[in-house]
Amino acid sequence: MHPQPDPTPPPSEESKPHWIQRLMDNHWLLLVLGIVLPFLSYTIWGWVELANIPPATLP
Amino acid sequence: MSITSPEAGWFHKPTGAERVWIGLALFWCLILTIMMPYWHFKGKQNSTGESYRVEPAAFNERVDRFIASYEVGKMNGVPIVEPPPGSDIYMTGTNWRWYPILKLKKDQTYRLHLSSGDFQHGFSLLPLNMNFHIIPGYDHVITLTPTTTGEFPVICNEYCGALHHTMTGRIIVD
Repeated sequence: MHPQPDPTPPPSEESKPHWIQRLMDNHWLLLVLGIVLPFLSYTIWGWVELANIPPATLP
Repeated sequence: MSITSPEAGWFHKPTGAERVWIGLALFWCLILTIMMPYWHFKGKQNSTGESYRVEPAAFNERVDRFIASYEVGKMNGVPIVEPPPGSDIYMTGTNWRWYPILKLKKDQTYRLHLSSGDFQHGFSLLPLNMNFHIIPGYDHVITLTPTTTGEFPVICNEYCGALHHTMTGRIIVD
């Protein structure tokens, strides 16, 4: 007996949700982005700034 | 987050007036972003960010030598220091005073070194609304050119303890 073909067609590009909708519906990805992006842009930037401050000569 | 999830297919590409408003908002974000570096270089009341690592004891010792070299009087027990124009000048914030009082010449440029002996303080020069965080362990250098004569109070605008509200100093310009 041969298997019957799936009657439902594969999802087309038009039926796929827009990427902004997929992003906004993904709460956990938004949480990760909300933590990782400020950490990279502020915290690590601050560490680099602090590491590059030279010692004072106090003329 | 809303109480219920929106139905599938809620997103639609903005069109018409909504598209214009989003475009205007993004354009304004771009202008404000450009203004930050622009005003950092073109504004006349900004720190250049020049700073160095320093031990509080070493900075306080330098302040004491600065006072011993150029002291011209006292006001309420605080030394008044009149350094030569164009020189490096020093002020420290320690609970609860800005020390010493500086006496400067109008239209002369000085390199003002600021640091703290104990906690984080907020150097706030009135009435110009010039504000800088002063952190122990760091020598924060501000290039300063007074353009008007008078007595300018310095207050602390970062809460630093019980007598924070009494933490004042003074810069005199003649």
